[in-house]
Amino acid sequence: MNLAQSPLSRRDDLRAALAGYLLALADDELILGHRHSEWTGFAPDIESDVALSSVAQEEIGHALLFYERAGDLLGGTPDDLAYGRSPEAFRNAVLLERPNGDWDFSIMRTFLYDRADAVRLDGLVGGPVESLADLAKTLRREEKYHLLYGEQWLRRLAAATPQSKQRVQAALDGAWAEAQGLFDPVEDQDDLVQAGAIRTGFDAQRRLWHGQVGAILESAGLRAPGAVTGRSAGFDGRVGRHTDDLRVLLEEMTSVRRTEPGAKW
Amino acid sequence: MPALMELLGMTQQQASHIYAVFRQDTKNDPHVHVGEVHATDAEMALVLAKEQFARREPCVNLWVVPMSAIAATAYDDADVFEPSTDKSYRFGGSYREQERVMRAKRRDQR
Repeated sequence: MNLAQSPLSRRDDLRAALAGYLLALADDELILGHRHSEWTGFAPDIESDVALSSVAQEEIGHALLFYERAGDLLGGTPDDLAYGRSPEAFRNAVLLERPNGDWDFSIMRTFLYDRADAVRLDGLVGGPVESLADLAKTLRREEKYHLLYGEQWLRRLAAATPQSKQRVQAALDGAWAEAQGLFDPVEDQDDLVQAGAIRTGFDAQRRLWHGQVGAILESAGLRAPGAVTGRSAGFDGRVGRHTDDLRVLLEEMTSVRRTEPGAKW
Repeated sequence: MPALMELLGMTQQQASHIYAVFRQDTKNDPHVHVGEVHATDAEMALVLAKEQFARREPCVNLWVVPMSAIAATAYDDADVFEPSTDKSYRFGGSYREQERVMRAKRRDQR
C-alpha cells in the first residue's frame, strides 16, 4: 500500500515529520552500508570480508525500502533520494558518515549502530502505520545477523590481547559522543510519537539502547563512558548539520551517476 | 588411524582454528560438508559460516567441527576401497539418482 494513503500521513502536520523520519532511517542504512562496502577486499580475513560485504548489501537493500516509502510522501524515486540530494538534505547520524578508520572502530560503530537500529525498529513494529510496522518486522530478521556479527567480533577484540582490548576501548571512547546522536530527533519527531506512529519517544529509546549496549560492553570487559548530553561540536545529522566527511562520501558515491545523469542501466 | 591434520601437514594449533562446515538444506536432508572457515572458536565459526555457505543456498541448520577433531583414512590406503573382484552388482547408482530427484523435490516444497 502506498504510504500516502495511510490515515496518519494524510494529516498535513505529520506528513513532513514522517517523511523526515523515513529519510533518517534510509540515510542511516545507506551511509553505513556504503562505509561497510569500503571494507570489501580489505577486511582482516576473507570470511569477515565476505560477511561484511553481505551485510553492506543488506543495509543498502533496507535503505531502498525506506526510500520507497519516503518517496510515497515526498515524490521521487529511491535513486533520486539516494543520489540526488545535497549533503545538508541527508538525515543520517554523523557517526555513520565517519571514515572506517581501523577495524576496531568499524566493529565498534556497527555494534553501537545495529543495537540502536534494533531499538528503533522495535518502536515501529506493532505501530499504527501498517506498511511501516510490517516492514520493520521483516527487516528485523536480517538485522539479527548484523547484531550477532558486530557483537561477536567485539567480544573477540575485547578478549584477544591487551593491545586489542586497549584499541577497542579507545574506539568506544572515540565513538561514544557521536553515538548518542543516533537518537537525536528529526524535526517534529515528537509529534510522531504523540500521534502514536512511533511507539516510544527518542529519549526512552536512547535509555533502552544505553542499558543494552552498557550490559554487553560490561560483560566484554569494556567501560561504557558516562552519559553524554551535548552534541559533538555542533554537528547533528538529523537536522542536516553534517561533517565534511559526508560531502566527500557522497561525491564518491554519486560520481558514476553524475557522469551520465538519467542514463538507463 | 591418522588425524586429518597430519594428512594435511597442519599443526594442532593451525587445525584447531579451521572449522569444517556442514550445511543442511532442509530438515529432511543430511548435513553435507560444504567447506571450511578460519575462526577463533566454534561460535565465531558459525557466525562466519552463515555468510560464506548459507547466503546462496537454502539452509536450515549449520554444523561446524574443528579440523583437529577429524580422523581420516590415508590416501595411500585408498586401495582398500577398490574391490578385487567385479562388485558392480552392489553399486548403488540408482540410489544416488533417486536422492538427486528427491532432494530437488524437498527443496521445492520448502
